[in-house]
Amino acid sequence: MTRLTRVGAREKVTGAARYGADHTPEGVAYAMPVVATVGKGRITRLDTEAAAAVPGVLLILSHLDNLGIIPAGYIMADGYAFQSLQPLLDDRVAYRGQPIALVVADTLVAATQAAGLVRAEYETEPFAVELGADGAETVLQEEAIPLPFLADIVVGDAEAAFEGSQVRVDGTYESGPQHQVPMELIGSVVEWQEDTVVVHEGTQSVGALRGGLARQLGIDPDRVQVIAPYVGGAFGQKNALQPHLAPLAVAARRAGRPVKLVLPRAHTFHAASFRPVARHRVRLGADASGRLLAVIHEVDQQASRHDLLPATYTEITSRLYAVPNFRGRQRHVKTDAQTPGYMRAPFEHSAAFAMESAVDELCQAIGRDPVEFRLANDAEVDPVTGKPFSSRHLAECLRRGAELFGWAARTPEPPRDVDGTMIGWGVATGAYPSLTVPTLARLRADAGGRIVAEVGGHEIGQGITTVLTCAIADDLGIDPDAVTVVVGDTRAVPHHLTAGAWGTNSTLRAVHAALRELRAGLGAAAAGRVDVAAAVTASGRDEVVVEAVTQGPGQPPEMIDRMRAGLVALAGPEYPDYVSFSFVAHFAEVRIEPVTRRIRVPRVVSVVDCGRVASPVTAEAQVRGAVVWGIGAALRERSEVDPRYGGFLNTDMAEYVIPVNADIGRIDVAFVNEPDFVLNPMGVKNLGEVALVGVAAAIANAVHHATGRRVRRLPIMVEHVL
Amino acid sequence: MPARISVARMTSEAETAFTVNGTTVRLGLDPRESLLDVLRERLGLTGAKKGCDHGQCGACTVHLDGRRVVSCLMPAVQANGRSVTTIEGVSGPGGELHPLQQAFVDHDALQCGYCTPGQVMSGLACIAEGHAGDDDEIREYMSGNLCRCGAYTGILAAVRAAATQWEG
Repeated sequence: MTRLTRVGAREKVTGAARYGADHTPEGVAYAMPVVATVGKGRITRLDTEAAAAVPGVLLILSHLDNLGIIPAGYIMADGYAFQSLQPLLDDRVAYRGQPIALVVADTLVAATQAAGLVRAEYETEPFAVELGADGAETVLQEEAIPLPFLADIVVGDAEAAFEGSQVRVDGTYESGPQHQVPMELIGSVVEWQEDTVVVHEGTQSVGALRGGLARQLGIDPDRVQVIAPYVGGAFGQKNALQPHLAPLAVAARRAGRPVKLVLPRAHTFHAASFRPVARHRVRLGADASGRLLAVIHEVDQQASRHDLLPATYTEITSRLYAVPNFRGRQRHVKTDAQTPGYMRAPFEHSAAFAMESAVDELCQAIGRDPVEFRLANDAEVDPVTGKPFSSRHLAECLRRGAELFGWAARTPEPPRDVDGTMIGWGVATGAYPSLTVPTLARLRADAGGRIVAEVGGHEIGQGITTVLTCAIADDLGIDPDAVTVVVGDTRAVPHHLTAGAWGTNSTLRAVHAALRELRAGLGAAAAGRVDVAAAVTASGRDEVVVEAVTQGPGQPPEMIDRMRAGLVALAGPEYPDYVSFSFVAHFAEVRIEPVTRRIRVPRVVSVVDCGRVASPVTAEAQVRGAVVWGIGAALRERSEVDPRYGGFLNTDMAEYVIPVNADIGRIDVAFVNEPDFVLNPMGVKNLGEVALVGVAAAIANAVHHATGRRVRRLPIMVEHVL
Repeated sequence: MPARISVARMTSEAETAFTVNGTTVRLGLDPRESLLDVLRERLGLTGAKKGCDHGQCGACTVHLDGRRVVSCLMPAVQANGRSVTTIEGVSGPGGELHPLQQAFVDHDALQCGYCTPGQVMSGLACIAEGHAGDDDEIREYMSGNLCRCGAYTGILAAVRAAATQWEG
């Protein structure tokens, strides 16, 4: 396996990499939104006079215009947008921070000034922003969204088994809300070139922007181009069409000029999705020997009034252990917010915090070592379906991690440093479904021996271009420098959304299939080194072009049409013959300062079963980054709400606190690196999400070891351990 | 003092001249334009990034007379008569990477790359300030630059490596 340096690193360290808002077309105008300042209600008056008088103002779009925009539909209900609600079309205000107008001006200064002069009057209505608030309506998922994969998971009789268990744990755990806060702000540069609208925007789904914008404007998707070769982080925030884009396209058409929008950071906390509040009640029952007999996992997840985010918390908690009796229940609590959505390990991070904290409590209750308990209760086949796992090396993750961490030296009584610093060690595991999406890959080989790979995927920093470059260079036995990967560009190939860590598995399937086609097209053997230049020359053509479309096992062919349309088309984790998950074990040390009780995490060891490691450099980075995320989730990040005002309050990078360099100690990463040829011929599973799952629980368990305090709500603050 | 300033009439321009990466630029600037917006929107130097516009994230870090500043918080008119260096001015004339840039590549000190220009500019300053003495000091003096991908251990390794090389 080639240990290839990250592709694109040179462009990134020199500032040459061009992100969406780095485009400044000739004659560009600048847009700035105006947002609602009430928690819910109706706009009764919108005064734009002073704003319109600002020199340089070109347009002020609002519900008072007929913008001619058709809602694009919710991404999880055959639509394209992060929520079904499209602002600026009527006088309704569903949540604080909702856009109510868009100012376009010659300069950014004029647009910003004018936006600040737009005045709105409202008729307000009561609103709910917390799970327990008056007016927050609770619905059962399997009734509200009657789809088979969203039904409650029930195996055996969990209630009876729990009641009959000798040792029982019953705890309520809570996390969220949180925001993704990628460093790249939400924004877009939109330009009409005759009848075609060209969009430069950092996104995980150029296909959804293309299909969605076409639907919103009532034009043919072929007249929409979306270009996003670099994305400045996304983490789920940019996984769908966002409501700014269609108004921007209307503005660009009306102004007859390109228009650039970069949202202020504060707006991003309401302009896109967020990780919803999730409140878990977990009940575990075991016998005195430490055999897990029953798990009951009930979750209430925050929703908006207008959409329900399909919840899959119990998908992993039903499978982390060989438990014969499981019952899940997932409910939605409707609040007055934008629709919550996907943020790295959207359900699994929170579910693992709850489940793996509860397991730690159980181990405490029965006096078993947490690693030993997990090894003793490991599952060999899927407890839910009875099918085999495509591969499962969770036990190996635990054993390797324990060894690397030095877990054997752990004592139930925590050590104290000479200065009184409390030290604690914690462990937790995680899993994440191996999802697969339809993907098209086109390979172009030229007489110079170069390969251009156009693939339906997105480079969001996870390293997909590096992964694909490694795979192509290794397969053909050529220099990685001879390979160019093109992703995130609707002009090249159709694209499915890249999220859910399915990128590696899905794009490698397609590239693997295309490589077989290419070998055939070049008259090369099925394996071994290929002299690409000689083979193309011998073909008598300038280039040999092949393409392949792949999808998940058992996926019906119409899913490929959905992919081409920019719609979501997922397969997994349950496939016809097996279920597939990636697995991880995290070991964390915390040190708690004796006076301030400040919690530090000097070291973490993470061992991952993601099948074969497709690109060592970027894989290690993914895991280290996820550990940083886990430290943030455990100790820092929470979006604050106030029932008096609605919306989120701490909407900037000083108050929404993410880890900084000084928060991070040593992070050791290892991989089981056993290929999973059941899932796909490249032997890879998924990585980017599973790496986060369980980190927060390992830290919470370490805090308990150090202090005896069981903190069941994230983030863990100084005041919880005083 | 008037109760309400009529900002609608604030259209005055200030003639401003400063050097960027060794080249003199002369612009008529609205006093409200940030150095970051002038670099990005007027001068086409898009290496410096906008991540917060509030001086909280460090993605817009450039050097002003050799010292690091967050260019989003600096009115561009304040750069008058001064010397600005951006990420575009760090590589050699032939495009060869500065040792710190090379160290960022070698230690994989980045993922999405959006914060990277600011990290490099801060890393250069961190070393020049004499704040790269040990790992804890580097971590502290690189903590004004957020990286949501979480490439902090790589950034630490890169700054440490370049600092060691710098000192010979």
